[in-house]
Amino acid sequence: MADYSLLIILFAPFLGAIALIFVPRKEEFLTRMVAVVSSGICLLASAYIFFAYDTEKSGFQFTQKFAWSEELGISFYVGVDGIGGPLVFASAILLFAGIFVSWHIKDRTKEFYIFLLILAAATIGVFMSLDLFFLYFFYEMSVLPMYVLLGIWGSHTKGYLSMTDPEGIKLRDSVGYILNFGSNSKEYAAMKLTLFLSAGAVMALMGILLIYHFSGMHTFDIVELRKNANFSGPLATIIWLLVFFGFASIAPIWPLHSWSPVGHAAAPAATSMLHAGVLMKLGHFSIIRVGYEILPDTTRELIPIAAILCVFSIVYGGLVSYFAKDTKYVIGYSSSSHMGYIFLGMAALDYISLTGAVIYMFAHALATGMLFAMAGWVYDQTHTRDIPSLGGLMEKMPFLSGAFIVACMASIGMPGTVNFIAEIMIIVGSWQKYPFQVIVAILGIVLTMAYLFRMMRGLFYGQLDPEYAHAQDAKAFVDRLPLLIMIFFSISLGIFPGHFYNVVRSSVEPLLDRINQVAPLITQNSTGLLP
Amino acid sequence: MTFNLALTGSDLLLLLPEILLTLWLCVILSIDFSMRHVRHETLAYLSIGGLVATILTLVWFDQSGVTGALFKNMFVLDRLAIFFKILILFATALVIFISIDYVKAFRFFKGEYYFLVVMSALGMMFMASASDMVSVFVTLEFSTFGFYVLVAYLRDDLRSSEAGLKFFILGVFAAGLLAYGISLVYGETGTMIFSEMASTPGSYGLAIGFLLIFAALGFKIGAVPFHSWIPDTYQGAPTPVTAFLSIAPKAAAMAILIRMFYVALASYKPMWVLLFVGASIISMTYGNIVAIAQKNIKRLLAYSGIAQIGTVLIGLAAGTKQGSDAIMFYLLTYLFANLGAFAVVIGVSNLIKSDEIEDYNGLNRRSPFLAAAMLLFLLSLAGVPPLAGFIGKLYLFVAAIEQELYTLLIVGLINIVISMYYYLVVVKKMYINEPTDPSPLTVSLPLKTAVYVGIAGTLILGIYPKPFIDWAVSATLMFSNIVAPTTAASPMIGG
Repeated sequence: MADYSLLIILFAPFLGAIALIFVPRKEEFLTRMVAVVSSGICLLASAYIFFAYDTEKSGFQFTQKFAWSEELGISFYVGVDGIGGPLVFASAILLFAGIFVSWHIKDRTKEFYIFLLILAAATIGVFMSLDLFFLYFFYEMSVLPMYVLLGIWGSHTKGYLSMTDPEGIKLRDSVGYILNFGSNSKEYAAMKLTLFLSAGAVMALMGILLIYHFSGMHTFDIVELRKNANFSGPLATIIWLLVFFGFASIAPIWPLHSWSPVGHAAAPAATSMLHAGVLMKLGHFSIIRVGYEILPDTTRELIPIAAILCVFSIVYGGLVSYFAKDTKYVIGYSSSSHMGYIFLGMAALDYISLTGAVIYMFAHALATGMLFAMAGWVYDQTHTRDIPSLGGLMEKMPFLSGAFIVACMASIGMPGTVNFIAEIMIIVGSWQKYPFQVIVAILGIVLTMAYLFRMMRGLFYGQLDPEYAHAQDAKAFVDRLPLLIMIFFSISLGIFPGHFYNVVRSSVEPLLDRINQVAPLITQNSTGLLP
Repeated sequence: MTFNLALTGSDLLLLLPEILLTLWLCVILSIDFSMRHVRHETLAYLSIGGLVATILTLVWFDQSGVTGALFKNMFVLDRLAIFFKILILFATALVIFISIDYVKAFRFFKGEYYFLVVMSALGMMFMASASDMVSVFVTLEFSTFGFYVLVAYLRDDLRSSEAGLKFFILGVFAAGLLAYGISLVYGETGTMIFSEMASTPGSYGLAIGFLLIFAALGFKIGAVPFHSWIPDTYQGAPTPVTAFLSIAPKAAAMAILIRMFYVALASYKPMWVLLFVGASIISMTYGNIVAIAQKNIKRLLAYSGIAQIGTVLIGLAAGTKQGSDAIMFYLLTYLFANLGAFAVVIGVSNLIKSDEIEDYNGLNRRSPFLAAAMLLFLLSLAGVPPLAGFIGKLYLFVAAIEQELYTLLIVGLINIVISMYYYLVVVKKMYINEPTDPSPLTVSLPLKTAVYVGIAGTLILGIYPKPFIDWAVSATLMFSNIVAPTTAASPMIGG
């Protein structure tokens, strides 16, 4: 039976966005319902592919292929393996939850949901593309909605609106306020994010074009290229570096991370969720899909770069998080820091650690999604993200503070959540090859605990400022639903990870066999930073 | 040599689209001066009707494979010419759509506006068929005359007059360069016909002659360093004329460039590739960097147009059949996105009488339709998927990487990021800023039609470009062996 589930997953949000164009502006409830229905269909279909994925078979499943342009060697080719499938599922969960999280958006609701659906659909498109052209197509497509989402519905850092320059002119009205470095307007964040990611994208595009030309096969088909293309020497190194740093800028690895916390902080809650949850994983995913699949030998030689840089990611992100005063900055930098764990898991080229890295992508999506959703709720109620001025919200928000504790536990990697499984696998798997990094990672977990508990204390314990006495808990069903969904998946997959593990493992094994084939057992006598 | 002008019926058939349009021009002009009570709209729709009939004739030619050459190869009708003619006529029809409301504001309006627009289109149709130095000169001037008048059409507007004068002086200068270049080339080769020049041995005279011809055509397409008229002329001219200038003459001049360099100069490819690489890099970088500082949307689009032409020149720099296909496809995408953007500019300026980017503040609140359309067009120009411009750019890049032009490619890719900035600044004004005057804006029907056509083209070419790519590919089959210099002559039916 031809299986159209991937097309349903991909096109349900797109069609929802198109349908929304025709919904009258006044019909806000109808607007939301269209978004809920289209993302609901997307979620059900992605749950189906996640659970119906055949772990006995390797290779891509649920594939669909349509000719698109013979002239350029492009076909619309979709399919998922054990790495893409869970990420498609995570995107669908976060999209569905994000629709409910943004339930109370009043300003231009219609446009908001249109851009949100396009953003999520494009992200999902990357995870299922088996054609380099379409991988890039959806990748670049996912960047642009971010600009509008941040710019319109985002928020400034506290006090930004009243900031003045030495001459007493309000910064917001000054000429160059888009390029106003050092201040954190949402416009600045949006522009920085878009330009950074576009720059990364064109770098990756250069790599993709080099692959296209020098494979001599006149095709963008990843499956074909993986089978038949052979790259070696300096060319392979150049392509790998372009692909790695191009895609790692969205991941974001340490020196390329600076757009990310700014962007997360300015974005509205649902966008931060999707962004930190799945958009950043586009980077890791694309590195695996393009770098690992097409250039396995070069990957083996050059991946230690990731192992070196991930240390900086973990430490730097963690430390900044600890000292940040803004709720969303804390979560944003913690995401940057946690991305380092994924790079560590990827760099070790070990079955267990890479499987752990993929599970971590999924787990982090849920944990950080919950945190951003709740930071967004607190912001909506109090209109501030400044931790020192908040406090004592526990008595006003009992449900939310309970959920927040669960989210923190998930983020730290408590046993019982899926994050625990992922973290332990990364640590165990990388120990032999990168013991130094593993020690850093473990210290990073302690650091995570420190800053999350600090934020929790700052928000929910202590004295309640009377200014925030009107703050409401998430009482309505629609407000609790997104949190409950994410908690449900985080805990249920944490307790029953068997199927998930098998799904990922079924794809990681053949991938790593190809990479490690030529020189197996190089992990034996390595120490420290260098392999 | 003697000319034999004994035309047969089948020869005249090749000229049918041009003859049809010429007759139609006479009809429009006579209706205008004989029937005073006829409304302007009627004239506009009559012109569009004539253009559509001509397009249909050309489509019929394309389908039934009517090709050939007339007047000793001065006029060739091959699929390449048909492609460009359809593109030019389509652009003209859209320009008339976006003119209808704009020209109502003219104080001295006469129906000759539409006559001049269609006449320029006729001249450009001949340009697409020019395969001989004399016809290059004659058709180029023919098409430019209409523009000299059109650019200065706002008689009581100082800017428009200034624009007209600048355009005229530099245009005449370019014509002089062209004539001088042609005389040098003729002196070296002893022939005017492209396909006969292919076997001439190289000399300095030939090189200088072609450089001068390139300079004249570079003026037409607005490539750096021949761009200096563009910003002022674009800003001063009536906006529909600016829109027309920004696409149709560029397409026609690209047709001549492709034909000249691929047919006449195929054996000197290594030399002119360098020329185009240089022109492309300078145009892209200059256009994009200067566009950042613009405060007027028409000037912004002018500089972005310079950058876009730099991007188009990547295809010529590749110098392959794939390069020319990519150019043709890119021009199609540029047609929809650029004309669409100008349609929005006209829609806004009809209502608020301003072209300043500052006045686009909060356009999304005032007219969600115009803002969304502008967003699509600008992102298509920037090259963002799933819009047409992305496929166009990728096609050009693929053509460049197949020739291993790394420098050009890297500069082109960096320029995508630079251009993203200033397009997004406009997006920011429209979507993020709040309007000073929140009154809603309404758009008239003809303008709406043009914008919808632009949106449809931008989306279709971006999501399902296959038929259009195939069309471009089949239009340049004669360049299949461009790499081998000796067999560059095109397989035309004799004339």
